[in-house]
Amino acid sequence: MKRSLRSWLWRIPIDQEIDEELELHVEMRTRELVARGMDPKTARELALSRFGDIRTLKRTMTDLGRKRDREMRVSRWLEELADDLKVAVRQLKASPSFTLIAILTLALGIGANSAIFALVDATLLRPLPYADPDRLVSLWEKGDTIERSYVSPLNMIDWSTRGHSFEKIAGFTPTVGGMVMAGADGNAETVSRQWVSAEIFDVLGVKPIAGRTFTAEDDTERTNVIVMSEGFWHTRFNGDPGIVGRELRLDGSLWTVVGILPGDFRLLGQTSIWAMRPITNLPPRARGAYILEVVGRLRPGISIRAAEADLAAVATALAHEYPQTNKGRTVAIQPMHDSLVGRDLRLTSMLFVGVVGFVLLICCANVANLLLARATVRKRELAVRSALGAGRRRIVRQLLTESLVLSLLGGAAGMISGGAILRIAPTLIPEGLLPATVTLTFDARVAAFCAVTALLVGLIFGVVPAWKATDFSAAEVLGSDSRTMTRTGGKLRGLLVIGEVATAVLLLFGAGLLLRTLLAVDSFDRGFRAQSVLSMLVDPLGSKYPTPESLQQFYDQIEAEVGTVPGVASVGWAESLPLDFFDTGGLSFEIVGDPPVEQSQRPTTEYQVVSPTYFSTLDLPILSGRPFDKRDARDGVQVCIVNEGFARSLHGRNPIGLRVALRSAGSPDEKPTVREIVGVARQVKGRPDEIKDFVQVYVPMAQDLADDMFLVVRPQSGAAEALTPSIRAAISRVDTEQLVSVRNVMTLEDIAWTATSRHRFRAVMVVAFAALALVLALVGVVGILAYSVQQHVRDFGVRRALGATTRDVLRLVVADAARVVATGAAIGLALSAASGRLIQTMLFGVSPLDLGTFALVTIVLAVTAAFAILGPAWHAARIDPAVALRNP
Amino acid sequence: MLPKTPNALLHGALDALILKTLARGPNHGYSIAKFIEETTDEAVLIEEGSLYPALYRLERRGWVEAEWGTSELGRRAKLYRLTDAGRQQLAAETASWRRFSTGVSKVLFSR
Repeated sequence: MKRSLRSWLWRIPIDQEIDEELELHVEMRTRELVARGMDPKTARELALSRFGDIRTLKRTMTDLGRKRDREMRVSRWLEELADDLKVAVRQLKASPSFTLIAILTLALGIGANSAIFALVDATLLRPLPYADPDRLVSLWEKGDTIERSYVSPLNMIDWSTRGHSFEKIAGFTPTVGGMVMAGADGNAETVSRQWVSAEIFDVLGVKPIAGRTFTAEDDTERTNVIVMSEGFWHTRFNGDPGIVGRELRLDGSLWTVVGILPGDFRLLGQTSIWAMRPITNLPPRARGAYILEVVGRLRPGISIRAAEADLAAVATALAHEYPQTNKGRTVAIQPMHDSLVGRDLRLTSMLFVGVVGFVLLICCANVANLLLARATVRKRELAVRSALGAGRRRIVRQLLTESLVLSLLGGAAGMISGGAILRIAPTLIPEGLLPATVTLTFDARVAAFCAVTALLVGLIFGVVPAWKATDFSAAEVLGSDSRTMTRTGGKLRGLLVIGEVATAVLLLFGAGLLLRTLLAVDSFDRGFRAQSVLSMLVDPLGSKYPTPESLQQFYDQIEAEVGTVPGVASVGWAESLPLDFFDTGGLSFEIVGDPPVEQSQRPTTEYQVVSPTYFSTLDLPILSGRPFDKRDARDGVQVCIVNEGFARSLHGRNPIGLRVALRSAGSPDEKPTVREIVGVARQVKGRPDEIKDFVQVYVPMAQDLADDMFLVVRPQSGAAEALTPSIRAAISRVDTEQLVSVRNVMTLEDIAWTATSRHRFRAVMVVAFAALALVLALVGVVGILAYSVQQHVRDFGVRRALGATTRDVLRLVVADAARVVATGAAIGLALSAASGRLIQTMLFGVSPLDLGTFALVTIVLAVTAAFAILGPAWHAARIDPAVALRNP
Repeated sequence: MLPKTPNALLHGALDALILKTLARGPNHGYSIAKFIEETTDEAVLIEEGSLYPALYRLERRGWVEAEWGTSELGRRAKLYRLTDAGRQQLAAETASWRRFSTGVSKVLFSR
């Protein structure tokens, strides 16, 4: 016996232990003295006196005894743990295939969960990487017809100076553009640049690693100043500290570098430099220019609601002072974190969390199932232990230790697989889904998540089997044939597998809906017929082409030069590209001669400036009327071509010859441009998943030239990308001074691919997880089958001997597994029907109750389950009756 | 008449004496004291006030272990027994005592 058992088998209170021990001593000493001839009373007194102060002695002994017991409890616990671990490892080693399958299952479940946790942690849980992120908010303008718009710089200044809720408010342009930097060697290069107002870095609390950031003086004096990113400083200037204070030639002007920002600083998108855009002394018309994304730092203790009320008062005042631009406009504020992360990413993250959570549950059910199966096998072993005196708690603890060891091994393997997923994840995640402030890494938090998940999972899948396995009377087990002992375990296992199948069906259904969505957005009718079209943004920066005429001439020259490149079939220009429209709010329009319409009721249209050759380059048919041509010159009749969506909005009137009055939607009172409709072009999608008809007018570039244009090129044959170098060379032949920025080179297919990437990402991820769930659930089903075979082997033997065919036996074997699959599928489909609308916002072109998807899921499940079941079942059904009867 | 303890034991010696006594077999507190007194011809008297704390300390360190047994009086008695660790400790203390007493003797009996 272990020494530690003493205090447990003979546990009496420590006081009683001491009293008894000392009393015995006193009595024996008294006897000794009496034997020497002392009278008993004196003898006892003397014996007692030898203890000195007996109260102090008892206190010392109690103290020592307590400490001793405590240490014994701990060491006993540790010894038992060591024993349990030893037994657990021995058990796991004894059945390597069980161990391997269980660990792999857990590794898949925990790995997937850890990767998704990293995503959720980075996007939803972690605060923004700025100082005091709780006080950072995004500010938007809000109108009667516009949910949310960027902010005009003059309004931003008034919010800042008249409001009382903010320490500072600053803004930046929502897109990253480029500047041409002239190098010392005469080579120009394009540097990515984001415009910011002077105080943006103060609002965010960013400290430069060298130099300074912008100041209010920079703004009032309108100096040309930039700060650069640490990365750009290292790659382009080799980390030369002398760069601060130097001047660089950007877009033909001189700009002073005043500071360098730390490498991990991100605002929105990747950029090399931030250039200050002055906002003081802007002309009054800037009040109608909605160009800034605005962030503010709330004063401590001010709530968003209070700040909103504060700025609403300012906005009301502004609406009185500047009714033309500000009437009906107010302010919307939300936490900066929310506006950066966005609804789409939030929903996607939650979707993934749900999906991998279900996968993990299936993993747990599978491992629990394996354990239950083993428990029936180990029943005898456990009964023997129990007969030898181990209590039920003790045996449960032993079994739980086994499952915890299993789950921790699974967790360790899960960390490895999670790390691997995170390593390849960045290539799968579509650009733009994650805000630039977010990076996915496998860090201590993810590791801790793995560990905690592993422990929880170990408990979840371990407790019930352990309890179940010890639910017996030893005598019964040892005294009987073990085959009869397993009825309840079998029922529980059946329930677990039904749950697995139901969950897998639910995930398959979700995957099916997302897949149908992807197919819908991928296979839409683009409208244009050209197979491969190359596009690039050509931006003649600076003041080289001051007049529209010179700019037009420049574009014409490039068009002609590129047209001579071998392999080029057609060249055109467009202000924006199909599938890549920003939601700008567009222009409001009225048909001239129709009864006047309230300003807020006027329909809106997107506005696209194109060259006459645009339609032929994209092979976009003009359905009626005529394309643009030489007639549509700058001083000719102002014309436009409308799309089918526009034509439909006229309710059957022939659009050709009608005149439309166009105004920018933000300034209802400005004088409209009136254009005559000369043609109707085929419908082109503005976004792949747009729900409303995209309404559009095309305007010839000669009549409204934009500052930068997309060059679109169709090759004579083959892939358009191959033409990129020769087209760039052709542009340089025109742009001899290298002042032009050529960027965003991509094909229209690339654009379509990017535009649908979110749907693809979601569909691919959920399909992968659903497939995993299906495989795991089928593993569970096969387990049920094997169990049922094991239960009936003797039966089969008898039946075969009595003349049953293989088929008869097969039916018997498959019945259990088939019942489980059918029940699980029915429950899963019912759950799907009930919960499909939870992902409705992610669906496009498919209803959450899509019958086709129901059918598809049912077929996939039926076919895979049949394959999984029939093989082993056939095998079992062909067992030789003689063998079966001999080996029960 | 039993005199009061004539000489205080040198520190650490009591532990060694207890361990040595228990090396002969399990025993309870009174017997341990008695054995030491008789073996030393009552040259060393064990103070009860230090014997029991010493026994508890030894038990806590794992050199002895206790269990309930029956005393000569037929009563339940707490019996102490030497553990393997206790046996090693006894050997160590015996060796160290030998070194110590040889050293002391060399000085005291030098000419």
